Amino acid sequence: MSRTDPVPDRPKGEATASTDAAFTALLEDSAEELYESAPCGYLSTLMDGTIAKINTTLLTWLGRSREEVVGRMRFTDLLTVGGKIYHDTHYAPLLSMQGSINGIALDIKKAGGGRLPALVSSLTKTDSDGRPLLIRTTVFDASDRRAYEQELLRERQVAEGARRRAEEDRERLQEALAVLQSSLLPAALPPVPGMEAASYYHTASPDRLGGDFYDLFPLDGKRWAFFLGDVCGKGPQAAAVTSLARYTLRAAALHDPDPVAALTTLNTVLHERYAAGDPRYCTAVFGVLEPDGDTVTVQLASGGHPPALVLREDGRADYLPTPGGLLVGILPTAPFTPARTVLAAGDTLLLYTDGLTEARTGDQRELFGDDALRDFAAGLTHTGPQQVITAMTGLLNSFGDGLDDDTALLALGVPTNRPHPVSDTPT
Amino acid sequence: MDVVSRNNVTVAGPEDAPVLLLAHGFGCDQNMWRLVAPALAERFRVVLFDYVGSGRSDLTAWSEARYSALDGYARDVVEICEALDLREVRFVGHSVSAMIGVLAAAAAPDRFASLIMIGPSPCYVDSPGYRGGFSAEDIDELLQSLQANYLGWSAAMAPVIMGNPDRPELGAELTNSFCATDPAMAHVFARATFLSDTREDLKKVTVPTLVLECSQDVIAPREVGAYVHAAIPGSRLVTLEATGHCPHLSAPEATLTAIAGFLGNLS
Amino acid sequence: MNPLTTTVQETGTGTVLRVAGELDYSTAAELRQVVTGLTLGPDRPLVLDLGRLDFCDSSGITAFIVARNHATAAQARITLVNVPGPVLRVLHVTGLDQVFTLEPGTDTRNRGAAGS
Repeated sequence: MSRTDPVPDRPKGEATASTDAAFTALLEDSAEELYESAPCGYLSTLMDGTIAKINTTLLTWLGRSREEVVGRMRFTDLLTVGGKIYHDTHYAPLLSMQGSINGIALDIKKAGGGRLPALVSSLTKTDSDGRPLLIRTTVFDASDRRAYEQELLRERQVAEGARRRAEEDRERLQEALAVLQSSLLPAALPPVPGMEAASYYHTASPDRLGGDFYDLFPLDGKRWAFFLGDVCGKGPQAAAVTSLARYTLRAAALHDPDPVAALTTLNTVLHERYAAGDPRYCTAVFGVLEPDGDTVTVQLASGGHPPALVLREDGRADYLPTPGGLLVGILPTAPFTPARTVLAAGDTLLLYTDGLTEARTGDQRELFGDDALRDFAAGLTHTGPQQVITAMTGLLNSFGDGLDDDTALLALGVPTNRPHPVSDTPT
Repeated sequence: MDVVSRNNVTVAGPEDAPVLLLAHGFGCDQNMWRLVAPALAERFRVVLFDYVGSGRSDLTAWSEARYSALDGYARDVVEICEALDLREVRFVGHSVSAMIGVLAAAAAPDRFASLIMIGPSPCYVDSPGYRGGFSAEDIDELLQSLQANYLGWSAAMAPVIMGNPDRPELGAELTNSFCATDPAMAHVFARATFLSDTREDLKKVTVPTLVLECSQDVIAPREVGAYVHAAIPGSRLVTLEATGHCPHLSAPEATLTAIAGFLGNLS
Repeated sequence: MNPLTTTVQETGTGTVLRVAGELDYSTAAELRQVVTGLTLGPDRPLVLDLGRLDFCDSSGITAFIVARNHATAAQARITLVNVPGPVLRVLHVTGLDQVFTLEPGTDTRNRGAAGS
């Protein structure tokens, strides 16, 4: 209350004086009263914790008499065992280092056996030399707050558990996807006498099962079959078709390795399975390799698939046209176009899916395209299947965001006798 | 891995003086030694540190797998000895660190010269024929107390704990910041501390050992002090007239006298 | 990137669906939905006008197959008109140029006007 500016036009009257008197009386009267019946508990302890003074409020909460407590109990005697440990490992050291400690949640034991959740603060009183004399402690009833905090804590634990389970589920799902994905592709390509084979699979997204597939496997000791294809769509539905296509072609090849016959079987199976509802189909190239002396004869057929590329030892790169072959699975009967070529030493046959030619490049997001692919491949003649795949992988990586589809590559070639000129290897 | 910054290692005292390695216990950090370290640094090369997960250690170095057992903390101690190439170490371990020191000395016996165990307990939970002072329920209650008090811990605390020099005001705001610890890490340390049983390891102690206990200590009662004393042949037991679990804070002069007396007798 | 836009025009002789913009994996579903909502019949053939289709890849042509299946089920004829060169190339590779009736260079705008 500021009294430095007495109001000039209203002399100090009796009303003001009596208000002041009432105020003073109230304050003087309340000092002891305030301590004893404050809305919080007070206690003072010696430095060893012995309770020297305690207010009525706290005694009432404890359900104990002053005689029971003062000089007979230590502060930690009021705490639960867990609270005692917490006090001795956290509360007391902090108080001793800081001279004060604020708002620590502790449970106070009541005489009747109940517990009072409390928020406790302490201050160390020191003498003029700074030596600690006693500890003053306030205790606030925190029953409601603690119940609320328990609720928060439980919710957080529930949320934490849910998050952990979701993460575990996700991991399991990723694992399952990886296993399924690997079942769509051969673990390794088998060796073919007199030939070299290499492959690459680019997955657009690790979460998304791919729709591209390829395989290479022996038929009868003299011949090997291969195929590469692309199922329309993505995700688990596409993967189911991929799986069906792969195993159908493998089984069909053993029954009749003629390329047109194998694709026809696949067409029948896919059309029968997916005729009703959402159409599911694929493009595929199926072929048979027959090594003969220094050369390998390739018979293949295509169903709606981009033409294979042949890289010749003499530096040419040409498409092996298969026009008129239809997408596999859209019609009950479909035409498939056969083609034949002979690979000599140094020649490589490259099969690819349209993720490669339909990658979008440059500022205008142009399709990479057939011509660019042929030009790029022409630079890879004189290398061999493994180097072709390595260079193509580098090309795919250079597309960056422009490549948003899965892409499969399969290269089959006859090794050349002459050493590979290093300068021809693209970087 | 830079162990010195990982464990927030600080060194004081004459370079050529005998090494005194002070290890804090569960619940706090190297600040615990503030009342005794300056006096000790007059005669010893005093090395202080925070366990990973405590104080201002590098919390990114923490892993639940390593710090779920006391061996992980003992590895911190050994790695600090190796990083600074400490030899003839006089190890002072408070509370659980007394037993961590026993494990560290067993793992790297050539580096330790003596052990000073302040308020040690090799097993806090009672078992047939042994009284540690606590039941399993008591320990659960402690874990609940920890959780109740870490509700106030938040991400705002992290810069303080990690020692963010750009925001010193944070330290001033948080009055209880000395022992602030990530709740998950504190929980793991509490379990490792109070659920461990290292009674068998006491047999491995071969160096001169001082067992320093308080006359009134709930966490390490005198019965347990006597057990440790009896289990380590040739050990010395000193009981301080003090209450609580931290005589180096509540009775620093008496603690210093006991340590100096023990080490003086050795030299 | 130009989004896909579709315009349906009912004429006296059938339905003309003009497809403009880019047709790829992300927009094919949209076209499929429009196509399957059309009412077709033996005397209500479907004309897909691709004159302003700027881009179409192999996943985009799924929508053409859905259109064909929808038309076939209704016993309606389906014709692709004004097929741009690049789209023609995709149809050629997939063999679909044999399955669809292609009419180059027809002005469906005029035909629609004449029919109404």
